[in-house]
Amino acid sequence: MKAHLACARMEFRVALTYRTSYLSSFVMMLLQIYLLTVVWSAFYDGRDEVDGVSLSTMTAYATLSTLQYTLVSPWRSSPIDQRVREGKVAVDLLRPIGFPGQMLAGQLGWASAAVPVLLVALPFALLIGAGQAPASTAAAVAYPLALIGALLVNQLLGLLLGMVSFWTLEVSGALMAYRFVAQFFSGALVPLWFMPGPVRAAAEWLPFQATAYTPAALYLGQVEGYGMAAALAVQGAWIVALGALAAFVWSRARHRVMSQGG
Amino acid sequence: MRALRGLRVYLLLAGAAFRAEFQYRGNLFINIIGGLFYQGVGLAFIWAVLDRFGQVGGWGLPEIAFLYGLRLTAHGLWLLPGHQLVHVDEVVIEGEYDRYLVRPVSPLVQLLTRRVRLSSLGDLAGGVVLLSIASASAPVDWTPGAVGFLLLAVLGGALVEGALQLAASALVFRMKKVSPIKFAIDMIFSDFGNYPLKIFGSAAGFGLTFVFPLAFVAYLPATVLLDREDELAVPAWLGWGAPAVGVLLMYAAYRFWERQTRHYESSGH
Amino acid sequence: MPVIEVADLVKEFRRPKRQEGSFAGLRTLLTREQTVKRAVDGISFQVARGEMVGYLGPNGAGKSTTIKMLTGILVPTSGTVRVAGTVPWRDRARNARQIGVVFGQRSQLWWDLPLRDSLWLTGRLYDVPTARFEEKRRQFTKVLDLGSFLDTPVRQLSLGQRMRGDLAAAMLYDPSILYLDEPTVGLDVVAKERIRAFVGELNRESGTTVVLTTHDLDDVEELCDRIVLIDHGKVAYDGAVAELKTRYAPHRELVVQTDALESVEGAEVVRREEGKVWLRFDPARTPPAALVASVLARHEVTDLSIVEPELESVIHRIYADRG
Repeated sequence: MKAHLACARMEFRVALTYRTSYLSSFVMMLLQIYLLTVVWSAFYDGRDEVDGVSLSTMTAYATLSTLQYTLVSPWRSSPIDQRVREGKVAVDLLRPIGFPGQMLAGQLGWASAAVPVLLVALPFALLIGAGQAPASTAAAVAYPLALIGALLVNQLLGLLLGMVSFWTLEVSGALMAYRFVAQFFSGALVPLWFMPGPVRAAAEWLPFQATAYTPAALYLGQVEGYGMAAALAVQGAWIVALGALAAFVWSRARHRVMSQGG
Repeated sequence: MRALRGLRVYLLLAGAAFRAEFQYRGNLFINIIGGLFYQGVGLAFIWAVLDRFGQVGGWGLPEIAFLYGLRLTAHGLWLLPGHQLVHVDEVVIEGEYDRYLVRPVSPLVQLLTRRVRLSSLGDLAGGVVLLSIASASAPVDWTPGAVGFLLLAVLGGALVEGALQLAASALVFRMKKVSPIKFAIDMIFSDFGNYPLKIFGSAAGFGLTFVFPLAFVAYLPATVLLDREDELAVPAWLGWGAPAVGVLLMYAAYRFWERQTRHYESSGH
Repeated sequence: MPVIEVADLVKEFRRPKRQEGSFAGLRTLLTREQTVKRAVDGISFQVARGEMVGYLGPNGAGKSTTIKMLTGILVPTSGTVRVAGTVPWRDRARNARQIGVVFGQRSQLWWDLPLRDSLWLTGRLYDVPTARFEEKRRQFTKVLDLGSFLDTPVRQLSLGQRMRGDLAAAMLYDPSILYLDEPTVGLDVVAKERIRAFVGELNRESGTTVVLTTHDLDDVEELCDRIVLIDHGKVAYDGAVAELKTRYAPHRELVVQTDALESVEGAEVVRREEGKVWLRFDPARTPPAALVASVLARHEVTDLSIVEPELESVIHRIYADRG
């Protein structure tokens, strides 16, 4: 655990080293929140409610999912292909803790660098009227759980994708395409409730909604009571399934590195 | 005569970059697809929401798609020759720029042709397809004049975006790291550029016209083509003049680049 | 008639002052304080057409900064540079046509393309007429032995092959001046020799002016008649190699193979080893012939030789004295 902490701390530092990028990503995030607030108001065009969702709930959703996106899914989706390309993966394998563990810890460290950004962004969001308190006590309790779940699902997806680079280095284009498909189906841009029917059905059957839509919808009380438990259960199921898949792929990848060299 | 030589040299170097890129052609197709997706997600958002809401700022799906297609085509048209500016930080910090300065060819041309990114073709192809489809369904009277203006507007939009990116890149000679600034510019273009500007209110609208000239990329020319001049806070001739604004901005940006390049410090003294 | 004229050349670099302590990064970003480093501090020299000059100095002495100003890469803070009548940084493109530049550490060739393409592109960029280009390429292919790797992508070439390719590209358009920055760094003996031979021949046959910076003083001893030594951004010595040795290292050493030798008039014993004795003497005061005669007169000698000081040790001594 200590070693994992060290890995996480290192990535945290790396993230902070790029200060200018860090600051500007912060400015960009605020701009994004502003943009979404304005755009959603324009879509509502004076109506108070559409499909039972009020404008203030919708802007809060947009803000929340933007903030979560910073935390859950940093720009850098997975460092693995880069490390394989640079031949650093051999060094990683020599470290005393498991490689997937290292990568996960590193990713979490990177994500935690986003926390200060979130702390500053929240007042801003409240200021422009794009923030909202949790819908209920139950929502306040369920939200952190769902957020951790989202983080894990996302990291597992990233890990799986990154491990593809053990078989082929030509992943950049695919990664790019993946990122945007994942972003759309996560509900980070359009909540599932506003998606056209068939798209919504697809989104519900894909793991991506667990990375953005689930926590935000719980927080805003769009999913309540029994639905809350069900949403968390679906997240949990994805974590188990993806975790098992990652372990399987990893055992194959490891075999490949060992027999061919990094 | 000089311009002719400039063009010949550009084609020569761009050709070399293409040949080099083809050594990695396995990536070609997937990169183009990647580029398409990058732009596609924004469109998917607008499509999904408009499917439910019908309009934004009084613009329906055909108009928004037209605006989007115009901006995307302009973006792709700029990106195809201009993509390498993304790497200006490393080129300057690692001293690769040294080598450009000892050849009898414009350093900027050498920078732009150091490699080609074929994923830019994805942006351009996506933009052209979308613009073609949207042009057919948008309520525009396609006289030859209107078609001509559309083509000029695409070119002008490419020049506006290129001018801002070039000006931001020129700061590298003093600031060493400008990629965050350029990312921010890119984000404003790709996120704010797809909506009718009037939804942002008059202050932001003014800023996005005269301070950060986003309006000239697609919104102003699209508005005049769609015959929606009434909603403009600025005179309509500014919309018709958008291509000229592109030329002027690019000229200014190029002069700025030329001046800043004197501050180049190379690497390791 | 000097082809390169440098007068009172100065180059300063300004950096935002790096702050220390907590939030150091943020404060560095915000501060307006600057540190000024004078990399080149009033350098003047001239190079005549056809000369081969070694431009030497320790790391950080201002060597490559000077070369970068001569080639038009950097704009001087003050002072003047004229190269064959042009001001390099102002008239960059014209200057580029009259100079060839080879950086040992960084190739000018197109990394992903075969060497052949790089040469062809260079020919086109410098407007070399086709017939002339063909002639030059044939000549360099032969002299530099490029034939076996002309069709190999540059990224796959060995360092020595790449350097030969770079040299060929730099000389394709017949520049009258050639700047070589560490041209032999990292090469093996054979490869170094080949490069030196090529440069020497260029100078003899075409009268190319050569300015050479290097850490390998064998390059200088073999190629250059004159050296300009700089230290801390100033010229420490400018003159002939032989003159440098007489001035800074006037002593010679006589190595004598003998059984027993205690001392000799006019010379000092500096080392003894395996029946050899090293005697240091100043040829200005003790004529070598006289010294040899007096040694031979008194001792049983099986072998004897006079050793010149090496350039490297001379230069070390100069820096040590100044340091």
